[in-house]
Amino acid sequence: MWWEGSAVSSSVNISYLAIGPEILLTLGAVLVLMIDVFRKPSMKVHAWIVVATLAATGVVLGFQWHSAVVDGATLSFSGMLSIDTFGAYAGFVLVGVAALGLAAAWGMMDRLGRRGAEGIVLVFMAAAGFMLMATSVNLVLVFVGLEIASMSLYVLAGITRQTLLADEAALKYFLLGSFASAVFVYGAALAFAGTGSLSMYGIHDFLAANVLLKPGVVLIGMALLIVGVAFKVSAAPFHVWAPDAYQGSPAGIVGFMVAAAKVGAFAALARILAFGFSTYAQHWATGLSLLAAISIVVGMLLAVVQTDIRRMLAYSSIAHAGFILTALTAGNVGITAMLFYVAVYAVQVIGAFAVVAAIAGPEGGSSPLSSYTGLSERSPLLAGSLAFFMIAMSGVPLTSGFVAKFAAFTAAWSAGFGWLVILAVVTSVVGFFFYLRVIVLMYMQEPVHAEAPGAARAALTIPAGIRWVLIITVAVTLVLGVVPGLLLRLAGQAFLF
Amino acid sequence: MDFQILTVLILIPFASAVIVALLPSRRKELFLPVGIALSMLPVVLAIYLFVVFKSGVAGFQFVEDYTWYAPWGISWHIGVDGISLLMVVLTAILVPISLAASTSISKNMKQFVVFNLLLEGGLMGVFLSLDMFMFFVFFEVILVPMYFIIGIWGSERRIYAAVKFFLFTAFGSALMLAGIISMALMYAHQNGGVPSFDYLSWLSLNMAPNTEMWLFAAFAIAFAIKVPMFPFHTWLPDAHVEAPTAGSVMLAGVLLKMGTYGLLRFNLGLFPNATLKFVPVMAVLAVIGIVYGAAVAIVQPNLKKLVAYSSVSHLGFIVLGIFALTSQGLEGGVVQMFNHGVTTGALFLLVGMIYERRHTKEISEFGGLQKVMPIFAGFFLFTAFASIGLPTLNGFVGEFLILMGSFITLKWYAIVAASGVILAAVYLLWAYERVFTGPVTKPENEKLLDLDGREKTILAVLAALMLLIGLYPKIALDKIAPSTEAVLDRVQSVTTYQVPSPGRLADVVGGIGGE
Repeated sequence: MWWEGSAVSSSVNISYLAIGPEILLTLGAVLVLMIDVFRKPSMKVHAWIVVATLAATGVVLGFQWHSAVVDGATLSFSGMLSIDTFGAYAGFVLVGVAALGLAAAWGMMDRLGRRGAEGIVLVFMAAAGFMLMATSVNLVLVFVGLEIASMSLYVLAGITRQTLLADEAALKYFLLGSFASAVFVYGAALAFAGTGSLSMYGIHDFLAANVLLKPGVVLIGMALLIVGVAFKVSAAPFHVWAPDAYQGSPAGIVGFMVAAAKVGAFAALARILAFGFSTYAQHWATGLSLLAAISIVVGMLLAVVQTDIRRMLAYSSIAHAGFILTALTAGNVGITAMLFYVAVYAVQVIGAFAVVAAIAGPEGGSSPLSSYTGLSERSPLLAGSLAFFMIAMSGVPLTSGFVAKFAAFTAAWSAGFGWLVILAVVTSVVGFFFYLRVIVLMYMQEPVHAEAPGAARAALTIPAGIRWVLIITVAVTLVLGVVPGLLLRLAGQAFLF
Repeated sequence: MDFQILTVLILIPFASAVIVALLPSRRKELFLPVGIALSMLPVVLAIYLFVVFKSGVAGFQFVEDYTWYAPWGISWHIGVDGISLLMVVLTAILVPISLAASTSISKNMKQFVVFNLLLEGGLMGVFLSLDMFMFFVFFEVILVPMYFIIGIWGSERRIYAAVKFFLFTAFGSALMLAGIISMALMYAHQNGGVPSFDYLSWLSLNMAPNTEMWLFAAFAIAFAIKVPMFPFHTWLPDAHVEAPTAGSVMLAGVLLKMGTYGLLRFNLGLFPNATLKFVPVMAVLAVIGIVYGAAVAIVQPNLKKLVAYSSVSHLGFIVLGIFALTSQGLEGGVVQMFNHGVTTGALFLLVGMIYERRHTKEISEFGGLQKVMPIFAGFFLFTAFASIGLPTLNGFVGEFLILMGSFITLKWYAIVAASGVILAAVYLLWAYERVFTGPVTKPENEKLLDLDGREKTILAVLAALMLLIGLYPKIALDKIAPSTEAVLDRVQSVTTYQVPSPGRLADVVGGIGGE
């Protein structure tokens, strides 16, 4: 074919290194399922399998990183998968996200009994799917990854089954998510129609070599791909499912759902746009800047009026999607900022939802803000961590949140989106308002004792998993705020091709 | 240099905060003494720094420069010059004093001490940073401890005040952040691709006049909110009135100075052309602040609010002095930043002490306190005189220099501003009259205890400082003058502006503080 001369080789070169992380995660998932069926072991056994699987995946990703640094990016499976630092970075983050997410949800998994193992399996599958999205250089494979991951998340959203809110969340998430997937496929189809290729290399080379007089089909395809991913990362105006899904899903697992989706989907979006459609950078950058602006404004403003912390965090995550898109408007220049942002935001959001899970109980349905009143006296650890995450998410310096925003704004400014930066920094001030409100409730107001004060006090036992998640996420958020170079250097090496 | 004194000065408060945080929660009696003891270390270092700081040198001293993250061009670049030296000393002195005045804090003493120490670390960072990224980090991070101090330990409307304080200042710094980013990228554009946040290297940037105006505005709004200048001052009375005494002391004493310091260091330093264009705007706002703040202070029924509004007036003087662009004006501005921290800090401490005894700050609740609390009345009168600007006390030195300096270039503004001195006498002496003179009208006031040893010590330290600067301003002016001259030299070298001849220091040596 016409693109054969490019980097894509036509032979099926199988590289177990390229697909290794996904294989390991799948094996881990199968192992958990099988052992669970035949042995009915305690959760401790599962814990060991989880640790072993994630550690092995991490090691393989390390080899990928090494190979990419030494040999440069290499393609395999007929140019479907790429071993590069970009994919390996996303993989690292996803392994971390899965580990933290499982630790935060461990109490819930334990209580779910037999279905606890299913929860682990679904987390593994979701992580594998998102990794596939991040490493794949073919739109069809990106879609496959997207679907594997999305299906797992739909089920995770409703894993508690008996709660009505969770069912509603799962159904809404499923219906709108499937719709988004359909939009994504349609976009891929139009991109194929316009360029004759589903490979990002193919699209890239075709657009670089040919000036399209009527680029309509390609542009619409590109736009639909963006819309499809925008749904997954809950960027406004494609965000409507997020507050309901985050509110209804079991608290223990929401953090993972938010974090993993952002990491995988943004990685894919960056790869598709900044490499595949790099010729049309002006078009998609403008589109992304509009999406970013709408997301930031909608997310920030609607978060202000929320009375449920999960809905508030959902709207805040919409705004954060906007900030990440802000970084991405700079294309290749913004990749570092984007990768840094998704990683540190993933850590923050898992930490914040871990606190929510500890307060609401892992399967708890809703989390009204009023239940946080006077938390600092009931549990200094939970209140302190949540306050710290609020400060980090609002972008106060000496937290990773500030560095991330700073990186994103710098990238966008250098790409000429000064208006977006000014809009973003000014809207951030609105963000301070609702993030601070949580702190006000926890630290500055006395608890209203509707029930016996002793009962509220006794109810707050923090599961060991959540305790560890909080310690790690707070430490990471603080350290990366003071010494951002630790991760920035890594993110700086993780570029596309 | 082996001993990195400035880094140590920034890190000691943070380390102290960690130490206090790690004290066992059961030992409640330890938190405050340990906190005060630890905050004495920066005092010793700051005084040592003041002594070894070379007079007659314009540039930055004790400079340290380490790369923080090279690809972004950010570094841990710190140094001290005559403008920041006094601010560092002021910060160091006020922290143990405000902690020592906080024995009445009943809940969460540990957190209270920790937040105060974090605040101190942040303030040191603000005044010592020569890297704009670093500066912004500290400038912004200070909001958090102050927010908690007001919000947790304040009085009834503390939450409203804390949030308002946070949002106002955060809004200002948001715009400044955009300005900082754009300047770093401008540097990258002009110097081969690598951005830099280094203040000293930014001095060589070429800016289009329009760009410079916008950047000036972005920085000036951030600092004007912090100062606060009219019309951005509305957060201040709320924050001051609701904050606990220690919070008010630090807020008025040091936090507001971040604004004037920023205007002087960054607006004048980085945007001299735009500065010249903005002089009328800034001067008008400063004079409005002076008169308006004083006028509103007169009618306040609440003692703490009165002191708060007097700050608006006094800070107006400082801004006027800075934008007068004369040697005297700048020197007066810098020395007045220190003076205001000492006198207003003392006034807030005094208000706090009477509040602890009577649980009210309403002026009408008092009367005749002179007879019941003579020592307290003495300290109050002394501080009030310093604040009004009575010769031999520190306020006189600053305000005299400011008015003299601004009379040269901003004649009519100076004339109007001078009324602020008279109004200051009105509101402070009238307040004194109502609170302290006459018969004791309220039975509650008859049994008030006079100051105890701790309170006397705190106030005596500040009173000694007022007297020291009042009698021997040379000790401060000698260190300040070379740096403010350097600022003027820069403005003159970059623009067409010429400081009028009586506005140069050389022509008026011996005018004040000379030998």
